Amino acid sequence: MSHGHHHPDTVLDVDHLGVRYGHTEALYDVSFRVAHGEMIGVIGPNGAGKSTMFKAICGLVNHTGVVEVNGVHCHDHTDRMDLAYIPQRNDSDLNFPITVGELVLAGRRRFRHWWGRPNAHDREVASESLAKVFLEGTERKALTELSGGQLQRAYLARALAQQASVVLLDEALSGVDQPTTAELFDVFETLAAEGTALLVATHDLALARRRFTRCLAVNGTVRGDGPPAQVLSAEVLDSTFGSAGHRALAD
Amino acid sequence: MHWLTEPFQTEFMQRAFVAAIIIGVVAPVVGTWVVLRRMANLGDAMSHGTLAGVGLAYAAGINVLFGAMGAGLLIAVLLLTFSSNRRLGQETVITVLGTAFFALGVVVISRLDTGVELTHFLFGRVLTVTWGDIWLNLGLGGGAVLVVLALFGELRLATFDHVQAEQVGVRVELVQAVLVLLLAVVVVISLRAVGTVMSVTMLVTPAATARLLARTLRQMTVLGVVFGVTEGVGGLMLSYHLEAAPGATIGLLSAAVFAVVFAITLPRRMPHHHRPLG
Repeated sequence: MSHGHHHPDTVLDVDHLGVRYGHTEALYDVSFRVAHGEMIGVIGPNGAGKSTMFKAICGLVNHTGVVEVNGVHCHDHTDRMDLAYIPQRNDSDLNFPITVGELVLAGRRRFRHWWGRPNAHDREVASESLAKVFLEGTERKALTELSGGQLQRAYLARALAQQASVVLLDEALSGVDQPTTAELFDVFETLAAEGTALLVATHDLALARRRFTRCLAVNGTVRGDGPPAQVLSAEVLDSTFGSAGHRALAD
Repeated sequence: MHWLTEPFQTEFMQRAFVAAIIIGVVAPVVGTWVVLRRMANLGDAMSHGTLAGVGLAYAAGINVLFGAMGAGLLIAVLLLTFSSNRRLGQETVITVLGTAFFALGVVVISRLDTGVELTHFLFGRVLTVTWGDIWLNLGLGGGAVLVVLALFGELRLATFDHVQAEQVGVRVELVQAVLVLLLAVVVVISLRAVGTVMSVTMLVTPAATARLLARTLRQMTVLGVVFGVTEGVGGLMLSYHLEAAPGATIGLLSAAVFAVVFAITLPRRMPHHHRPLG
């Protein structure tokens, strides 16, 4: 089932998305649309299904419902290479022998076959992506040489190199200090201005109120969707967080 | 100088050296990925498990390398089919399979009246390697190296961050399956020279030693090959002069080199070199 005809501004159309893990219903009846250049804060308590929602949208977990990217109905994850997902806690081994340049070039894989090698254009895009996140010239550095904030920006650069229309960041801001958060938001805003849609999962409701134009409150399903002032109301927060919501807001 | 050249005088020793060089190149090329993907226990199960095929082939009078290959393939298929059992966990399934196949091999070989010793298969008899074995190993090993080189980029993506890899179009599960098959190939080509038990040493130890020193994947692969060949040839020479079991001497030399490199690189891994905060 779809919402009907594709709206030209819509880059991502999520319709009745649901995910079950065994007998547990992690997510049900999630529907929303994202337009080009939108910057959306996704809020909700731990275990509310934010990560599951991102993974389902990217086709990384089995789900019911429909995901359309640029008006194209997605079947498996290979239909969704126009989405870039930056996971919460990166499971990847940071001591893995890979340079920053190689990390960013990983985003270019979607444009070639398995036997292909990155070409001059790929390297150019990778360098530009690094420059956009203020990491120019770090191609030859090892990942271990980067600070936590720089590492987050390197992952963001990989998503940029992927030239994704939608970037989904799962708790990209947790464990990152304030100046770095500010820097990341500068990058987000530049990207949004260029037409990339961003969905950023965050615990920080004050930040969500200040920096996003739209908020999506998630707990099992969508509890609120709209401008921050509307979504961060007592009523929606109650439904999303229970009584903890008020405490979080008070912080 | 005589000490160095003497072992090369006889043809069977020359064949043994060629066999050791082939393993020294192929095992670390595959082993690099075994180490990075933390699959060493899978290599261990595979190396032990192939004994079942060796025993059955020997009993049937077929070349044991074909038996080992058959068992390796079967183990690979079973592992890929059953290792994702959520209740048991991968390492449990791997161990159950490996030990079961190993036990079958021991039972079959112990029932044979041919006087062949179990230890020949477990620890190899590098001096019995034939030119036929060498051609077979060269074909299989060369194929394995070419596959790794062709899949180098895919292996890197799938190993470093399998979620992102899948998202940009890498077929992560297929890459894993190919790697398990390559593991079987390494065990097969190691069989005659170092035996099933020591094959996992050649697979893991030179690559692990290289891991301690290398900054990039390319460096790690090249250094692994340098260690693998040096330890294979050096171990064989030592065993000749010490009149010790060749496979075990190679294994011991590899472990000694690892220990030295580990000690030398220890200061580098001390806490003050940890990631900066912020």
